[in-house]
Amino acid sequence: MHRFLRLSFMLMGLLVASGSYAADTQKPTLTTEDDLGPQVTQPIEFPHYRHAGLKNPDDPTNSDPSKGGMEIDCQYCHTYARRSAVAGIPPLQKCIGCHQNIESVRNKPRIVELFKYWDAKKAIPWKKVHDLPDFVRFNHERHIKRFVEQQNRPTQEACGYCHGDVKSMTVARRSKSLAMGWCASCHEKNHPVTAEGGTPIGNQAYWYKFQKPVVASSDGVVKAQGPNDCWHCHK
Amino acid sequence: MIDSSSIKQLAGHPFDRRDFLKVLGWSGAAVALSGCGNTSIENGKETVVSYVEAADYVIPGVAVYYNSTCAQCDAGCNINGRVREGRVLKLEGNAASAINRGKMCGLGQAGVQHHYNPDRVREPLLRKGDKGETISWDKAYALIAEKLNGVSGEQVAFLSGAVSGHLKVLLGNYLESLGSKNLYVYEAVAPAVQRAANKKAYGTEMPRFNINKAKVVLSFGADFLGSWVSPVHFSQQYAQFRKGVDGQRGVLVQVESKMTLTGANADRWLVVRPGTEGILALGIINALGASGVTLSGDVAAAVQGYDKARVSNDTGVSVEHLDKLVALLKERTPSLVLAGSAAEGYAHGSQNAAAINLLNQVLGNVGKTIEASASVPFPQMIPAKGNTAALKTLNDDLAAGKYKVLFTYATNPVFTAPGSMKFKANLDKAGFKVAFAHYLDETALEADLVLPLDSALEDWGTQVPEYMAEGAQINIQQPLMEKLHANTQGMGDILLTLVKQREADKYKDFADYYGYLRGSLLTIKGALGSGGTDDDTFWDETLTSGIIKLAGSAEQLSGNASAAGLQLPAAAAADAQYSFHLIPSVTAYLRDGRHTNQPWLQESPDPLTTIVWDSWVEIHPKKAAELGIVEGDVLEVSSRTGSIRAQAYLFPGIHPDAISIPLGRGHEALGRYAKGYGVNPFQILDAVFDQETGELALHETRVKISKVGQRIIVVKDEGAAGGKPEQRRIALSKSTDQVKLSEEV
Repeated sequence: MHRFLRLSFMLMGLLVASGSYAADTQKPTLTTEDDLGPQVTQPIEFPHYRHAGLKNPDDPTNSDPSKGGMEIDCQYCHTYARRSAVAGIPPLQKCIGCHQNIESVRNKPRIVELFKYWDAKKAIPWKKVHDLPDFVRFNHERHIKRFVEQQNRPTQEACGYCHGDVKSMTVARRSKSLAMGWCASCHEKNHPVTAEGGTPIGNQAYWYKFQKPVVASSDGVVKAQGPNDCWHCHK
Repeated sequence: MIDSSSIKQLAGHPFDRRDFLKVLGWSGAAVALSGCGNTSIENGKETVVSYVEAADYVIPGVAVYYNSTCAQCDAGCNINGRVREGRVLKLEGNAASAINRGKMCGLGQAGVQHHYNPDRVREPLLRKGDKGETISWDKAYALIAEKLNGVSGEQVAFLSGAVSGHLKVLLGNYLESLGSKNLYVYEAVAPAVQRAANKKAYGTEMPRFNINKAKVVLSFGADFLGSWVSPVHFSQQYAQFRKGVDGQRGVLVQVESKMTLTGANADRWLVVRPGTEGILALGIINALGASGVTLSGDVAAAVQGYDKARVSNDTGVSVEHLDKLVALLKERTPSLVLAGSAAEGYAHGSQNAAAINLLNQVLGNVGKTIEASASVPFPQMIPAKGNTAALKTLNDDLAAGKYKVLFTYATNPVFTAPGSMKFKANLDKAGFKVAFAHYLDETALEADLVLPLDSALEDWGTQVPEYMAEGAQINIQQPLMEKLHANTQGMGDILLTLVKQREADKYKDFADYYGYLRGSLLTIKGALGSGGTDDDTFWDETLTSGIIKLAGSAEQLSGNASAAGLQLPAAAAADAQYSFHLIPSVTAYLRDGRHTNQPWLQESPDPLTTIVWDSWVEIHPKKAAELGIVEGDVLEVSSRTGSIRAQAYLFPGIHPDAISIPLGRGHEALGRYAKGYGVNPFQILDAVFDQETGELALHETRVKISKVGQRIIVVKDEGAAGGKPEQRRIALSKSTDQVKLSEEV
């Protein structure tokens, strides 16, 4: 009797503990489905749709901001993405570089705000929207090199795999889950990466589906998908 | 479901262990799942601050590297700092350096914690009663000018740590402009006695030691792997020495009363009665003579009385070991004999060092493993050196009320002066005290005006190492990042401003210390071997490499150590009242305690005892058993000067008649990571000085110990196996090939 009571008492505790887990987590998703993050308020409501959005064919002078964008390449502003692990936010200087010559929008409230920061030589305190935990090291450079430079895919498509359709947003909003299972959902797919020197592979990362060794039929080279080891991202 | 009575019953019947572990496992897993699932991806919480204007080479996430010079000790290792997003993150050795060849020690690594330390002084502070009031730099400079007004040069003194390079030149010029000759250079732990002994024996204060060329190294307490002279350089030589010359692995014999890091690495560690190192050296010479090595007449006469039986009796080293050592030294040449602070810290320290140097001479090592070192051809830039003798003079002058204005820089005598000097009380008698300081240390707290300095990673400078590894070199110190605090200034800039107060005309061409440094180096460009290159190229190359390498002018080694005047006292008699020798040990990381506020160093386990964040008293287990002391007993250690309390640690690597307390801890100031941790053995040091050089005899203090009745748990890294002598051990009782691990552990 006592033993039963003690056990049930303990199980209660267990239920409470796991209940708290269920309440504040979502189920890890293995698809690239959208998974909308919260709306984040930024110091300046930066219109991505206006800068990166598609041009309106009926409006060659691009005069109506509600209807068309300017098709600026993502990498024009996020210039560090192809050079570094982090994409970086463009320096304020870059915004001003163009906007000091665009008189037509100079008096718009957002641009007035922008120039206030510039005149005070103060950095804009943007909020991070895609903020991975500190134990994850995602490398932008590798992904841009692969998709944009090697495979010649459009920048917006490559960036969009993880960032969603930013060209239709004002301020960016997370639209993918960015959890590890979600990363695996892409790395599982058929885009093998040659393991260095064709070395035998198969350690822990394999269990997380990051590393299914594949022997290519044509040349017999051992290929793996994506990161070769846990420490590629967790370092 | 669960009524109160069943809860009572539960309380009376604790979970059995198995159930408890089951629940622990499950709830642990549940916590782990909820702790790091998807929830840790954050949105819109942290701020990402971009640059307002970015330099072309700045790419967030990609590091840039600058060469500079380590300022953690005076060895002058060249370093390479990793800088990302304008912040210095990591220091490593500069591979092009002859001193450290790309390597770095733990003390150097902690240099970033000097820079980022939260307890740095950030504003000029003027004393208002017990408090410091923030004032502007202009006011501070005006105040100094006002206090110096009408004060003669003799009434001004400058107390400094070791300085070299252009800072030393500028400091000299400033004192000259004040008409003062009172520059006192004080380093609490410096090989001052050795310098004097070397000067006598070899004609140069700091010759080059080639550990890597020796087949035997006999070290009398020189901790060259830990804290002696240039440890990173010697560690590398040591690695080569162990690999061997001509395929013969080098043999290291360490003679000391308290085991150092180097002693722990030795093939043979010989414990010697404190202070009898010189007797042992002379005994070895005598035995060498008896075994057929030719001794010159005066040497033979000097060592005549030192027969094996007497030496063994005096030093505690058995005749058998003495014979082996002599045979080893005779068989393998060249060898190298080193004299460290443990041999020199006595009233007859100079004599000990002379006897040890004489042994080198007899063994024919001079010119082979001891060579002349190159020196920088600019004598005004070579390091200003000093030890306690300088401090003693200053102390006497202060006591006499001689000084109206006193400057202090890069030294903390209130903490490191031996308690018997009463330095703090004498310091009060100086009229106006200005401290140039990074932190409010014990000395800065006594000052009337505290001027905050840039950290070593923010400041410009040149440094000339005292120990030259190969050729000569001038080290460049350059900022690795922008200043962290707006209101600190570089020491060079401060001196330049001060000297401009006196001689504005002479220095009007130099806007700041950077300009002075650049201008001065450009004028001697030719002498530095870059006469042909244009100014900008020379300057860029200099900053890029961080080192100016020079052929240097080799001093000539005289190599005629004589036995004249060599007079060693007999082994010290036992002191009935104060029966222990106190050995204040210099540890590899804390040294004289100026960096104790770097938490990495506080939490680095001591290599021999693995104790962290606290002081301890090393005592031999046999002696401890005699006195009923076990590990963790709080002991009161009293000398004629004072007493301190610290936990006991039973340590077989110490002479039974000695106890040892590490230096560096026991701060009453210096910020949150230093204040209140451990005790300060400097406080209880007696005023005994080396008879020849007048330097403090660091090891000459006698103490008595008593239990205070309290016992604490020693916070240390090692497990019980090596820590408590009453527990089973592996290594001590059996040789390793006889150990069966499964039975022992």
